[in-house]
Amino acid sequence: MKSLFRLALVSSTVLAMSVNAFAQETVVWWDFLGGGDGVRMKALIEEFNTEHEGDIQIDGTTLEWGSPFYSKLQTSAAVGQGPDVATYHLSRIPLAVSSGTLAEITDADLQTAGLADSDYSAAAISASKVDGARYAIPFDVHAYILYYNRELLGEAGMLGDDGLPTGLDGLENFEAALAKFTNGDMFGISFPTPDRFRLVYSYFGQMGGTMYDPKDGFFPGDNVDKLTTATATIARWSENGWTPTQIEYAASLAMFVSKKTPFHINGNWEVPTFTDLKSKGELFEWGAIQLPVLFDQPASWSDSHAFVIPQNAGVEQTAEKRAAVLKVIGWMNQHSLAWADAGHLPAFNEVRESEGFAALKPQSDYASLAATAIFDPRTILAGPAAPLGDAWTNYIVPGTTGELTPEEAATEMRDDLNDQL
Amino acid sequence: MLKDKRADYLTALILGGPFLLIYGALFLWPTIQMVIISFTDAPLIGDGEWVGFKNYIKVLKGRLFSKAVWNTGYFVVLTVIPSTLISLAVAMAVSRLKGWKQALVMAAFFLPYILPVSVVFLTWNWMIDMQYGMIQYVVRLFNDGEAIALTRNLPFFMPTVAVVTIWWTLGFNVLLFIAGLGNISPEIYEAAALDNASRWRQFTRITWPLIWPITALVLTLQLIAQLKIFDQVFLFSLGGRQDATMVLVQYIYKLAFQQNKGGMAATVAVLLFAMIIILSVLQYQLLRSRGKK
Repeated sequence: MKSLFRLALVSSTVLAMSVNAFAQETVVWWDFLGGGDGVRMKALIEEFNTEHEGDIQIDGTTLEWGSPFYSKLQTSAAVGQGPDVATYHLSRIPLAVSSGTLAEITDADLQTAGLADSDYSAAAISASKVDGARYAIPFDVHAYILYYNRELLGEAGMLGDDGLPTGLDGLENFEAALAKFTNGDMFGISFPTPDRFRLVYSYFGQMGGTMYDPKDGFFPGDNVDKLTTATATIARWSENGWTPTQIEYAASLAMFVSKKTPFHINGNWEVPTFTDLKSKGELFEWGAIQLPVLFDQPASWSDSHAFVIPQNAGVEQTAEKRAAVLKVIGWMNQHSLAWADAGHLPAFNEVRESEGFAALKPQSDYASLAATAIFDPRTILAGPAAPLGDAWTNYIVPGTTGELTPEEAATEMRDDLNDQL
Repeated sequence: MLKDKRADYLTALILGGPFLLIYGALFLWPTIQMVIISFTDAPLIGDGEWVGFKNYIKVLKGRLFSKAVWNTGYFVVLTVIPSTLISLAVAMAVSRLKGWKQALVMAAFFLPYILPVSVVFLTWNWMIDMQYGMIQYVVRLFNDGEAIALTRNLPFFMPTVAVVTIWWTLGFNVLLFIAGLGNISPEIYEAAALDNASRWRQFTRITWPLIWPITALVLTLQLIAQLKIFDQVFLFSLGGRQDATMVLVQYIYKLAFQQNKGGMAATVAVLLFAMIIILSVLQYQLLRSRGKK
């Protein structure tokens, strides 16, 4: 009798445990965040997991940025082996939708996540939709910004009363500053050569250029001249020796860190790199601002990290799983102040307009760029690891290094992209 | 007797069957599939419509295909024969050493071969870095004190990647040659030495003809490996002018994984497959017949 009782006790405990295990949803998560921001994302995931113990657990994996990530996501979703949620670049959404990788996110889904369209900027919302259907929930805006060495600028008398750089607006002023600092083994500015197109696109935007029009194709009318001018500007900086013509990503960072240049242009994702160096006492006083306006209007190249739900072929996502996924997405957005720590601007308005964000430096110094940020055009050719990215490096980068003339570069890029339409 | 033969067939089937099955399922069937897909407009995943020879016309007329064929050919010229000759020279030098010295030197040459391509790429990319790379000290000697971005300047790109590739894969060829040299009987050299034959004469009349079968093998293996070049060229061209340095396998990758065009990618794969078969059979036959004379 006693042993029977014990058996019943054991089996009911096992049963209770398994019920408990069923109640906990595991959300499989893939991202491509391998840098300083990846560390912060892992911290966020951990925080979520502790807060939701026994309820929802995120099982996160970080994959290689770019082509490897996107091909793996596409192929795994096609055979029903994709994750439950993944990070994605908003610029690449049209391509992803055309290849059937993403599941639609309905208005009801958005509500389940505790979010609404009004929580985001209109630009971000429109970038997350294709033909009126939503396929992504924005998470951040990231852009090209100007990093500066506060000590060097101070010595040169180029800091205003607010402690921010002054006298950099306008092409002439900016080039004068570059010329002034170029001396011996000092350069006026550094930025990675392979990514120069992001700067060209920013200046193209500052001239009010339109890259793509559904009717007239790529760089219609005089837009190709604007592209030429933007390319020629960077080519001139190289030619005058104000910036190294050929410099790889890590070396361009090293140049700024080792005080060989007062300015560095790069994505805001390098903010954690400098913050961490500074906190270890290995860096000077530094800051970052929105790209100075060299032409007619402010504009900076930007893109946006967003969350997507892959369309796993042949796998029906249960209502509980979907609710868990949406809860994860909602929670991440509400906690995106920690993500701003990685240099990104939270897409969620409430966080970006909060006091906590205003206190973040230098993030709040360049947050103004969000209003005039320029994204890739809405076409299936756009996004990282897509034909548009290839065309930039095949034509425009050589156009800035003297391998092609800026005119050749701009027209060849236009013709190549129009051929692929 | 008849019964015995049948038993032989059964044994043959049991012994060879599993191999034939696996070979058929993992090699033959996918190859047939590849040829079929090349006649459709299939995306990367899923089926497509039959389009006849449209993919072939599009690929053969395309700018990038001829560029990729040209670049692949150029890379083969830069690597296959130089790598074979250098390997032979190294093998002859190493085979003169004895005991632990030989083992040590051989290990030193073989070490790069066991590195994965990612490590080779990162190591060399740092060594040739324009601002901080130590190779640039050598480059500056020959270029009026100016550094050159070796993988960002078109004329230097393929030769640089070729040098890295030879450095990387040399060890395996050296190993083959050392085995071949060890098979040449020392008595032949002793006899030649007695006849007062010079070292050069010993090489041209003894070593070279007797090592020829190995040379032919190394050349053929190299040709096949270098026609399939992808990793190094792709990695070194990241962020650069990838279209200008495109090689054939990279073109397949671009079409399939970046542009979602499975049909066209299969077309290029079929063309490359045909090229490799024709070239390597031709080369091996040519080398063998030359060896016999």
